[in-house]
Amino acid sequence: MIVSMKRLTLVGIRQEETDILRALQKAGAVELISVTSDDDGGEGARRLDEAAERISRFSESLSAIKPYAKKPGLLAPARQEKLEKMQGDVGEAEVASTHIRAILEEKKQIEARLEKDRSTYDALIPWADMDQEMSSIVSSKFTQYFTGLVDPAGEAAIREQEAISAEFYGEPGNRAAVLACLKEDARLVAGFLKTVNWTDVSFPHLKGTPREAMQAIEQDEIAGEKRLIELHKELESCGVSADLLENAADALLIEQDNLAAQTQVERDVSIFRLEGWVRSDETDKVEQAIRSVTDAYYTEYRDPAEDEVPPTVLKNDAFNSPFESLITLYSLPDARGIDATPYMTPFYIFLFGIMLSDTGYGLVLSLGAWLLLKLKKPTGGLRGLAMVLFWGGISTMVWGVLVGTFFGLDFDVIFGTVDRFPLLIDPTGNPVGMLLFCLLLGIIHICSGHVIKMKMCFEDRDWQSAVFDNLSWVFILIGLVLFALPMASTFFDPPFELGWYHALYLDKVGVGLILAGSAMILLFKGREKKNPVMRLASGLGGLYGVTSYLSDILSYARLLALGIATGYLAMVFNTLCSMLMGGSGVMKVVGFLIAVVLLIALHLFSIAINTLGTFVHCARLQYVEFFGKFYEEGGRAFKPLQYKTKHVQISK
Amino acid sequence: MLELIKANLGLILATAGAVVAAAGGILGSAIGVGIAGEAAAGLVSEQPERFGNALVLQLLPGTQGIYGLVVAVFIAMRAGLLPGGSVDVAVAQGWQLFFAAFPMALGGLISAIHQARVSAAGINTIGKRSEEFGHCMLMAIMVETYAIFSLLISMLLIFGVKL
Repeated sequence: MIVSMKRLTLVGIRQEETDILRALQKAGAVELISVTSDDDGGEGARRLDEAAERISRFSESLSAIKPYAKKPGLLAPARQEKLEKMQGDVGEAEVASTHIRAILEEKKQIEARLEKDRSTYDALIPWADMDQEMSSIVSSKFTQYFTGLVDPAGEAAIREQEAISAEFYGEPGNRAAVLACLKEDARLVAGFLKTVNWTDVSFPHLKGTPREAMQAIEQDEIAGEKRLIELHKELESCGVSADLLENAADALLIEQDNLAAQTQVERDVSIFRLEGWVRSDETDKVEQAIRSVTDAYYTEYRDPAEDEVPPTVLKNDAFNSPFESLITLYSLPDARGIDATPYMTPFYIFLFGIMLSDTGYGLVLSLGAWLLLKLKKPTGGLRGLAMVLFWGGISTMVWGVLVGTFFGLDFDVIFGTVDRFPLLIDPTGNPVGMLLFCLLLGIIHICSGHVIKMKMCFEDRDWQSAVFDNLSWVFILIGLVLFALPMASTFFDPPFELGWYHALYLDKVGVGLILAGSAMILLFKGREKKNPVMRLASGLGGLYGVTSYLSDILSYARLLALGIATGYLAMVFNTLCSMLMGGSGVMKVVGFLIAVVLLIALHLFSIAINTLGTFVHCARLQYVEFFGKFYEEGGRAFKPLQYKTKHVQISK
Repeated sequence: MLELIKANLGLILATAGAVVAAAGGILGSAIGVGIAGEAAAGLVSEQPERFGNALVLQLLPGTQGIYGLVVAVFIAMRAGLLPGGSVDVAVAQGWQLFFAAFPMALGGLISAIHQARVSAAGINTIGKRSEEFGHCMLMAIMVETYAIFSLLISMLLIFGVKL
């Protein structure tokens, strides 16, 4: 069901605006519509930016200490916290965050320094044997120094030059050299150095000889590493602040939403006005929230106007509501359309089971989903997903007995029966029969879509569309089934007993239905056209639509294909693992153990990928084949001003 | 030598079929998971927290390899190539098993690569809009339909062989 929405206009006293907005956020029932004339000179935007910046600072600190925080169990429910406490934590968190970011900053500086030290050290290595202070090698009034690296050929060439006095250090092959010459020769020498393989290197501004400088760097590195370890420890000890930071970050997130809401309100000197959407069944909640603050206010609720697009809110009972998440995954219905959830749910569960069709897998799935729901107590999307998988698992267990297997094993093997299982049909033994069965399910599914559309048409008092565009196709599809049933029955073993069928002339009825449906389309598809030729042409075009029905129906072959894929995959895993058990003596025990571990892992893997495939393909059958017949998408989600948090759940 | 081949031609053809089925699916998945993996690694460099989503999308083209393995094992099983089995495979049946491998081999090879491209595009999308993960996954799995149909056809053909 789609909840009808009301347009709220609220006028209140300006002094109470902040309190009212807070109360509304707590109630979480109003989606604001911006009516601001934006005359605050960017003040609101500035405060929003400021809040965003604070949140990002908290997030930065939080991600730095997250690895050292106490980890909740994988299945532990989300932490609950009171908002007042979270807001109170902000100050303390600010201190912790500043401390953490100071540590991070120092760490960054030390790491940069160590990197620089390392490269200086490496550059000094060739000069290690030079026993002069680096600072003493300075060109004077009469002499010019050159320092650099040179290859052996260059070294020989330099040694031949009488104008240069040279000292060479370091490994042969890559020699460091200090050259000296008279100032007046400097230019010539520089020119000469360009002809040999010479690389200028200038000394870093460090005290002492290169070796002393290198020792100093080593000392510095040791100190740096030590400090890094200390900082790391300090960061680790900050791990306890994780909860604090999470609380504060979420409190600020709520604050940010509130600030954003404030920018959407129109203000006068003494009053303010806000507009928004409210669920028609939550107007009381809004009234209560405002009344908790003040009595001096005015509210008005009205139905949406023709040109206004309210958000779409779905509301279903406890059984159907988890399946709303599948609708959301596709596209919300138009706010004036219909909610497909209750129609889709039974088909989804039903078809899900055929696709997975293994009792063992269904058992694991349902059990897993149930445990997740019990232990983690998820909310929102995850809860919906777990519920969908739970029901899908139940259906899978049933279908496993009817058409499938138990962890890839035949039920006959388990119970020692002969050809008793699967109860309904064996897809591997009689794939054509199973295929026909799947296509029949598809036809039922598609016809249901048309019936829903007919209902919608009748509600709109458009009986012509209901009959000519929908009932006609239902006739054709049902006629097809009746007509083809005797032929299809030959693919089953034993074939159906069809005496009564022929006695009732049901196959003839089928032909009649096909003809009737076709005639309805041919004659009335173009009913708005005056020209009889044009009208007939559009009728023919309508009949051509049978090709799309063909592809729609054949699409249900995926029920068989996915079911078979699951069964065969499980069977292959069982076969491979049973080969491991074939040894004798000690090998038998070892092989058995390996096989058991491998079996569990492989089947879990198989459950994971097959469930993913089933989930999506089952959804696809709803989205394309089923929704295509009646669904009107294009709604947008309801996003009320509320407590939206990232880390903790707000407790009441 | 020629005599030996002639005498065992049915078995040789069946083995070749198993090889073709496995190779097609596995090659496709290897290429596909590689393509999607590059995109996933790129995303993780910017947003490490998206690793889980990227991994799921990366693994989607991996199923064709498994389907190829399933078909190969069933061909081997029907031809009595696995331990405990020994069947006389005539030449005609050998050819049947050989060609039964082709839907899976070709369908797996090509669909895996194209699925990987959809996955990679999806991974790029969740880099910008993380909430679109569900939709991106749906689109990638749509390509998988044809790998599943390939598996179906190959399996039907394998079980259609009268041995």
